[in-house]
Amino acid sequence: MKLRFWQKTYLLTLTLFLLCLNLGIFALAFYTYRRSVRSAEEGCRSEQFYVMTAFRRDYDDLMAAGEGADPKLLMESYGAAYQKQGIGLNFYENGRSVYSTPGAESVYTDPGTLRHEREGGDRRVILSAEICDGRYVMVFTRSVADLDREFRSLMLTYLLTFAGVSLFLAICLYIVLKKLSTPLERLRKTTEAVAAGDNTVRAQVSGHDEFTQLAVSFNAMIGKINDQMEALRTEAEQKQRLVDDLAHELRTPLTSIYGYAEYLRRTPADEQDKIECAICIQSQAARLQKISEKLLDGAFIRNNEIQKVRVCLPDLLAETAADLQRIAEDRGIELIAPSAGPSGPDADAVEGDAVLLGMLFYNLTENAIKACDPGGRIVLSCGPGWAAVADTGKGMTPEQIAHVTEPFYRTDKSRSRAEGGAGLGLALCKTIVDAHGANLRFESEPGRGTKVRVEFTT
Amino acid sequence: MSKILIAEDEIPINNLVKKNLSLVGHDCKQAYDGLQAVEMAAEEPFDLLILDVMLPKLSGFEVIGRIENLPVIFLTARSNLADRIMGLKLGGDDYLTKPFEMQELLARVEAVLRRTQGVSRDFAFGEIRVDFSSRKVWRKGEEIPLKPKEFDLLECLIVNRNIALSRERLISLVWGFDFEGDSRTVDVHIGQLRQKLGLKDEIRTVYKTGYRLEIPGKQGGGRT
Repeated sequence: MKLRFWQKTYLLTLTLFLLCLNLGIFALAFYTYRRSVRSAEEGCRSEQFYVMTAFRRDYDDLMAAGEGADPKLLMESYGAAYQKQGIGLNFYENGRSVYSTPGAESVYTDPGTLRHEREGGDRRVILSAEICDGRYVMVFTRSVADLDREFRSLMLTYLLTFAGVSLFLAICLYIVLKKLSTPLERLRKTTEAVAAGDNTVRAQVSGHDEFTQLAVSFNAMIGKINDQMEALRTEAEQKQRLVDDLAHELRTPLTSIYGYAEYLRRTPADEQDKIECAICIQSQAARLQKISEKLLDGAFIRNNEIQKVRVCLPDLLAETAADLQRIAEDRGIELIAPSAGPSGPDADAVEGDAVLLGMLFYNLTENAIKACDPGGRIVLSCGPGWAAVADTGKGMTPEQIAHVTEPFYRTDKSRSRAEGGAGLGLALCKTIVDAHGANLRFESEPGRGTKVRVEFTT
Repeated sequence: MSKILIAEDEIPINNLVKKNLSLVGHDCKQAYDGLQAVEMAAEEPFDLLILDVMLPKLSGFEVIGRIENLPVIFLTARSNLADRIMGLKLGGDDYLTKPFEMQELLARVEAVLRRTQGVSRDFAFGEIRVDFSSRKVWRKGEEIPLKPKEFDLLECLIVNRNIALSRERLISLVWGFDFEGDSRTVDVHIGQLRQKLGLKDEIRTVYKTGYRLEIPGKQGGGRT
């Protein structure tokens, strides 16, 4: 049989309580009974004393009156007189019965003793004493039947009271326990709902007891679990999106490669056609290679601890600018960088991996060049713990900034593709910056230009 | 010969589609973003629009809402069913996902053009004239009797002219996928066509590939 906690509590409490109550009542009843018996015995004793005193006086008077007086007559008159009061008198002389009250005969009892005798439903108290200087033994019997009757009626009253109290207790205890266990029951239902997969339910919080604390803790736990599940889901979605995007990015060059190869194979292409096709295949293959390289770079940076050394930011920016100066000039873009090293070895230096930081500034500057039209200006600058690349290019909207470090996100799809971008440059920058525990901040205005700030925290 | 507008932002793919469509005798114009496609479609009449879904400026789905009375074949890297249904609901006549085979594109283009254009279909090249409606072929004005499968094969070669088709492809196009004969059946029928129509040079055997009907340049015309 499966019992709920409150049911168990109920049964146990009820049983225990009734047991105690029962014991208490019966102990009390027994005690009362004993006291009644004692007081009855006391009554008997005093009556016996009275009878004895009266009898001796009368006996002494009788003896003084004359020789021929018969004490038996005195006994008979006493027996008859006390019979009406429910008292039996038995007189013995040398162990021999001299007189007995009719209907209240009693066996000889040694003087000085008190005993009880039960005859049918009738209970008698028997007292024995020597009288007349030891000549006679008087056995005094008195019926105490009403004492037993009283006791029985008392017990009946007690039992009825007991039954009433038990019923009342059973009902009250049921209601109280049921009410007390309601929060637990609610919590149980809530956990069942959660176990069934509904993670929107919450336990009801009321009162200030342990159940309340349990409900609060339970809610906190569900909240935590939900948060973590949400985080996992978001992460899974991001991964899925990356995979989807990657599939798309791979599909496009693959379509070209496949298509041009098919064209070469199946059509009577002339020499010029063939060369054009080959160039396309080659450039698309290069694009695939670029994607795979950047993805691998990103994975490498994420999976390996970077080796930090002191890197002088002005030197690094000057190198970057030198690398890209020609490309910028070809497009008619002015590229300005801080001059290398005049401010001393320690000024504007940060802890970092020189190669990765070089890659970071190269990518950022390359992006800036791509964003600029001829006549544009790019300024590389740095200070203690920060470096920035600012351009006068086409800028970005806040919405674009929010997505710009996502892999394969392009603010201008056709332009980026035309320039052979893999759409991974800023994602890679973000990875490098994250690996350095630094921040990447974009300040941009469409049409005015963009400033990218790298802020080192160490 | 039909006028086809290609709207695709990936320049290599755009060029590739143009090259292939030009081979089978279509006249192609190129657009590289959604707005340009809408403008060009408004300027001159086209028979068909090949439309990439993920176009800059205006997406393919937006483009289709701004043009009227132009059959559209969607071209996209998105292959999920929801997009496909969306494309067809918006009035696309067909839907092709990247990467695709050019032959697949040509077949869809042919099917859409056949469905949307007039019934008068004939084709002439060299000494040959073909009427696809009455399924008759003339050489130098003289009618040449062809068996049904020979005619189907000829039609298939003309539709895919200048493009080499493998024997397996020809079998599936002419005889159907459940054909159980071997590829020599194709060789036999090709032999018959070469002999009956005098196309020994025009129907070329391409190394490791299959057969190709070569009709160079702008030669050959009519609606196919």
